[in-house]
Amino acid sequence: MIRLTPARLFAVLGGMTVVLVVIVLSALATGPAPLSLAEVFGALVLGEGSDATRDIVLGVRLPRVALGLLVGAALATAGAVFQALLRNPLADPYVLGVSGGAALAGIAVLALGSVVALPTQSVPLAAFVGGIVATGLLYWVSGGRGGSGPTGLLLTGVVFNAVASAGIVFLASVAGFFEGSRIFLWLIGQLSAVEIDAAGLVAASVALGLTVACVLARSLNLLALGDESASELGVPVDSHRRALLLATSLMVGGAVSVSGLIGFVGLIVPHALRLVIGSDHRLLVPATAITGAGFLVLSDTLARSLIEGRELPVGAVTALLGGPLFILLLRRSQSRSRLP
Amino acid sequence: MIAAMSLGLSSIHRLSRLGFVPFTALVVLFAAVSGAAGLPRLVSLNPSLTAIVERLGAAEALVGVDDYSAQITPALADRPRVGGLFDPSLEAVMALRPDRVLLVAGLEQESHAKALRQLGLEVEVFENERYEQVLANIERIGRLVGREGPAAERIGAIRALRAAVERATHGRPQPRTVIVLDRSPLYLVGAETFLDELLRAVGAVNLGAEVARGYPRGSLEWLVAAGPELVLDLSPQAELAAEAERDEAASASAGALAFWARWPSLPAVKTRRVLALDATRVSLPGPDLDRALRELAVAVHGAGIEAAIERELARREAP
Repeated sequence: MIRLTPARLFAVLGGMTVVLVVIVLSALATGPAPLSLAEVFGALVLGEGSDATRDIVLGVRLPRVALGLLVGAALATAGAVFQALLRNPLADPYVLGVSGGAALAGIAVLALGSVVALPTQSVPLAAFVGGIVATGLLYWVSGGRGGSGPTGLLLTGVVFNAVASAGIVFLASVAGFFEGSRIFLWLIGQLSAVEIDAAGLVAASVALGLTVACVLARSLNLLALGDESASELGVPVDSHRRALLLATSLMVGGAVSVSGLIGFVGLIVPHALRLVIGSDHRLLVPATAITGAGFLVLSDTLARSLIEGRELPVGAVTALLGGPLFILLLRRSQSRSRLP
Repeated sequence: MIAAMSLGLSSIHRLSRLGFVPFTALVVLFAAVSGAAGLPRLVSLNPSLTAIVERLGAAEALVGVDDYSAQITPALADRPRVGGLFDPSLEAVMALRPDRVLLVAGLEQESHAKALRQLGLEVEVFENERYEQVLANIERIGRLVGREGPAAERIGAIRALRAAVERATHGRPQPRTVIVLDRSPLYLVGAETFLDELLRAVGAVNLGAEVARGYPRGSLEWLVAAGPELVLDLSPQAELAAEAERDEAASASAGALAFWARWPSLPAVKTRRVLALDATRVSLPGPDLDRALRELAVAVHGAGIEAAIERELARREAP
């Protein structure tokens, strides 16, 4: 592991932040409507420009970018934390079933939409509550005698997800026509400017999750070595694991509540970064948050700009971009390790 | 919404239905005793075809319908249901022993048509994307149920009203319009659809036709940039708002305006020309296209257009 110095920490995170700012500005300047950078800047900073320009920049693009930043940071950070906690390289933000609980509750309200009139905000709110309930169940399961180990948690997640999936399939089957298409988009994952109403809730959960993950990053380094080693090195294994699980699960619940199930971000961003900057979570966690945010904003910009006048689900773009990128990084890493 | 439902737009919507299948003796009993004298025993798997049969006075011929048909046609609520639009139960259809099964061509129902034919049933496949196809369906179903006269009358009434509407709206301003089928995700009425044709017939410009043909998923940014002068909101949210308020269209339109006012630059918002319309009355490619034309004409030109339409109709009928 490369030694982490304050200079390296600031250099890497500073560089990533600059790239993120460039991605955000590019995202704000890109879209089906041909707006110049000057127009975007005028609307964004000075409140100038035509009414339509201000609506497009502030009312359509900015909410999407803001949601992309929050959701991307949440999913990527959760992936990094879960992979370390569960000592499983295939762990992703959805592995513990929190997303399943959030999706089930959100989709239940979506399906109800064909029967009763509900305000737009009720879906993300229900999903967030579903995520909290699933997190509570997880806490209960993991809080048994001495806490569950990684295997117990993984199995719990598998069961949670299986039950939630069955519930989702049932609801999708009996939902109305348009509710069905919304459920489909939820399962692929998408960002919508309309969901910005719930951004405060998501921001709070992301702030909590990120703070806990950053504060306990050193413990994550040691937990990744195994419970016994971590315990011998002075980490209160059970309490730190539970704190990380709960804070990260809340963060995932918040993300899923506004975006549905966006895949690949939580799996590939931490992996890719490990290959580039190493496995020290004190650097990896904040770097993952920044990279995940940038990756999702970039993907969403492509999703809303590739076909004029139409939109693709961002979840499809993250999979199409992320999969090949990950394989490329993996192959490069393997060929490096084969060098004499 | 109903247009999209009836047309079977894309495979993603297969998720939307499984439906409950009433495998009960009651169904079989109903199947055995129903079917009025002289009428064929029909099972309809599409609400627009169901509506045509019912409108031509042959509802008794329907021994089974899909869930949507039962949902939007109250007179058929007690009819045996054979499942959803995209996944009807073939077994339930067979149990009703129909003479013919009516369905709309499309990726989703082509496989059902094939399977039903293999089971020895006669299947009538229809297309209903375009205006003329819908009129042809009325004529064809009229022949199937022996109601050629009422079918011809219906077609004549629709054609007459369309001609009257075109004359009445000629020379009036043509607002740049979008028809919204769903808000989030945004679905629009695109080109080469009967709703696109109806909208043009009433003298409006369908901006959604610039996006794609059919019923595309649109981009909100595109919509804001396109700057529609009139937004016709047929989304389920608008419908439900109206039902919840137990009020007329005004409350639904107020709700729709409140939603679209998030983007105040929209010309339609500035002039408060955001209207919620009842999708079941406007977007069904069924026997009441004349009603849809009237409602669209009023939405585009205001209530005053009705008198002009009546004048044109009277002028045509005058010797």
